[in-house]
Amino acid sequence: MQKNKTMGTVLLLGVFLFGFAVWGALKPADAQSQSERRSLAQLPEFSLSAFADGTWTGDFESYTLDQFPLREQFRTLKSLLSLGVYRQKDNHGVYLADGFVSKLEYPLNEDSIRHAQERFQFVYDTYLAGTDVKPYLAVIPDKNYYLAKQNGYPALDYDAFFSSMRESLPWAQSIDLTGSLTADDYYRTDLHWRQDRLVPTAKTIAEAMGASVEEQFETQTLARDYYGLYYGYAALPVKPETISYLTSDTIDHAIVTNFETNRTCAVYDMEKAAGKDPYEMFLSGSVSLLTIENPNAKTDKELVIFRDSFASSLAPLLLDGYAKITLVDIRYLPSARLGSFLTFTDQDVLFLYSVNVLNNSETIK
Amino acid sequence: MLFSSIPFLYYFLPLVLAVYFLVPRGAKNAVLFASSLLFYAWGEPRFCVFMLLSIAQGYVFGRLIEKNRRRTKRSKLFLTASVCLSLGLLGYCKYADFFISSLNAVTGASIKLLHVALPIGISFYTFQILSYVVDVYRGEVPAQKSFLKLGTYIAMFPQLIAGPIVRYAEIAPQLDSRETTLEDVSSGACRFVIGLSKKVLLANVLYELITAFQQSRDLSVLYFWLYAVSFTLQLYFDFSGYSDMAIGLGRIFGFQFRENFNYPYISSSITEFWRRWHISLGSWFRDYVYIPLGGNRGSKAKWLRNILVVWMLTGLWHGASWNFVLWGLGFAVLLVAEKLVYGRLLEKTHVFKHVYVLLLVTLSFVLFNADSVSEAVSQLGAMFGADGLPLTSVESVYYLKSYAGTFLFAVIGATPLVSNAVSRFGKTSFGARAPVFLQPLVMLVLLAACTAFLVDGSFNPFLYFRF
Repeated sequence: MQKNKTMGTVLLLGVFLFGFAVWGALKPADAQSQSERRSLAQLPEFSLSAFADGTWTGDFESYTLDQFPLREQFRTLKSLLSLGVYRQKDNHGVYLADGFVSKLEYPLNEDSIRHAQERFQFVYDTYLAGTDVKPYLAVIPDKNYYLAKQNGYPALDYDAFFSSMRESLPWAQSIDLTGSLTADDYYRTDLHWRQDRLVPTAKTIAEAMGASVEEQFETQTLARDYYGLYYGYAALPVKPETISYLTSDTIDHAIVTNFETNRTCAVYDMEKAAGKDPYEMFLSGSVSLLTIENPNAKTDKELVIFRDSFASSLAPLLLDGYAKITLVDIRYLPSARLGSFLTFTDQDVLFLYSVNVLNNSETIK
Repeated sequence: MLFSSIPFLYYFLPLVLAVYFLVPRGAKNAVLFASSLLFYAWGEPRFCVFMLLSIAQGYVFGRLIEKNRRRTKRSKLFLTASVCLSLGLLGYCKYADFFISSLNAVTGASIKLLHVALPIGISFYTFQILSYVVDVYRGEVPAQKSFLKLGTYIAMFPQLIAGPIVRYAEIAPQLDSRETTLEDVSSGACRFVIGLSKKVLLANVLYELITAFQQSRDLSVLYFWLYAVSFTLQLYFDFSGYSDMAIGLGRIFGFQFRENFNYPYISSSITEFWRRWHISLGSWFRDYVYIPLGGNRGSKAKWLRNILVVWMLTGLWHGASWNFVLWGLGFAVLLVAEKLVYGRLLEKTHVFKHVYVLLLVTLSFVLFNADSVSEAVSQLGAMFGADGLPLTSVESVYYLKSYAGTFLFAVIGATPLVSNAVSRFGKTSFGARAPVFLQPLVMLVLLAACTAFLVDGSFNPFLYFRF
């Protein structure tokens, strides 16, 4: 009996240890992690100097972690153990509630909010003050606004957050978006909102700015599965989603000019839709400066949106009310350099930022 | 290299095991020594030179001491030279900046700090070399004639970076000849997996809470207590987990290392706590500092001096900073107070004595983990509501709920409850008839869980590396 137990222990542990060792050594290296949307570390080239300064060993460790056999399954096992056995409420700050995967955003980062406010004030003082522009401010509540507190997770003091933004930028007319959104308007596995459910929000914004939104959009759906950013973080067996987008005659005929590439393209970038992050199909993802021109416009009004990634899916829905929409991302284009690219006269100017970015605003320049 | 890492578990260890068990008996020490050097060189190869020089001086002076055993003065000179070299290297690497900054603070001088990088495990291998040459000088062991065997003893990777501090006398016979039975491999592997689980499944998880606390902007009294308790548990599972892994690996390679921890948190006095915590360090200081100073023989004043010296050195061994010195001296005061003032009274209590130990040890570890004495004072104050800190905060209540399960596992794991239950279960008729695959299966599940945690995360600090 004791002998069998001894033999069993040595055999089982030995097979597991040596089995994964051999498998790991022989397995061809994967190039990408789909769920994490990143390149995986490859076997570093050995050199004595790299070994001596520790870089090779560090890179080798990254390689062994990234290329471990059944890596995704082991990550899932870890998540299940954390949530199921340890009964932790989140795993790496990611939690599941009401069928949504979300990431804790807590606490309110006053320094970060102040930084964002200072940058917006700089834009106003430098470019907008003394002109006929009409500035607006719309803060996009993050998914936690609808999920965290209700499910026992720490939530930001949103009232304080929104009122701080309103009060520090008194020159901008504030637009409240909280009433036009629900948790269902966000992807279940991503932080972003779903364009196919944004028409009420677009109307709220347009109405506040005295513009209009088309009454009819056609919904199209990408044929591929969509795994949002939090899917990779959570490493849990969550069902994939799909990305739907809205088309109309106005959107179909709009001309997007990307000032990073100096090329024109369509509102929806189908090459990006087939790429690592399909959400980048909306106005080609992170671009510091672009314009959308509406050749069918019945007005010559223009809109400038200071924005983060959320605006990429919303801006096309506002096209009906404008001849041209300019999107500026001052995380990539420093606000001090805006004068070289834009002239502010009498446009509508919308500061459209998500809570996630404002609470972590160190990248806003 | 860390034991709790994928490169160690799935590359280094299988390779070393395969080669070790394939080579003939005469080559086993060479395999262990070479693999230990590779293990040590991983990440910081330049420190290998320090270690090899230390081993070389220990070897040469050990031989010289033995050769001149009858010429007392000469052998004492060689002993002094070896001790000075060992302590000189340790002092230079670990304590130079501490002494310079203390001197600057006292005299107002502005001597530049040296910023010497600390070689991993230097405190452990220095103490092993010291004990070896002292034992040779005392005539308790013969000097080792083989550099390879002495090198294998000092550099042996299972205990190289985190102990336990192995005495040469204990494993000298095993360096010459040892057998590894299947039973040794099995029990060693189980001990290793248990240690790995302590480190990966408990210590690292608790470390995540500590990190959250350190980054928090939503502090409260409750949060400081959560931090203190987490650190107290984390330190135990981190260090005792490493000791278990070392003991387990040693057993697989045919060595019997002494135990280093014996459920210290169930102690009913601080005196008992130190009999159960880092046993190999405590006994080292007892045998090589306290007793040579005179121990408790002589006057009470001398005894007090000896206690203070030993505990100041114990504090300094853990780190080159005044909070470590205070931490050590604090224990000296408690040990003396238990001996002279309230020890007997404490014994008569039931629950209080455990609360007393846990409270004082927890508070002591706040001092231990602080970056400075002033930070420790501030943190200890915060635990008792200083500076008008709120009692609770949203974040602290959230983490209390989120980590309740982890705390439960950790508290149970810090007591002999599980091992007693397993032992009792084995003695029952049902336990005796339990399927033979139960133990192997539990070990396999633990190893798979540890692998999952390691593959998933980059959280893998090891506290005792700074020693």
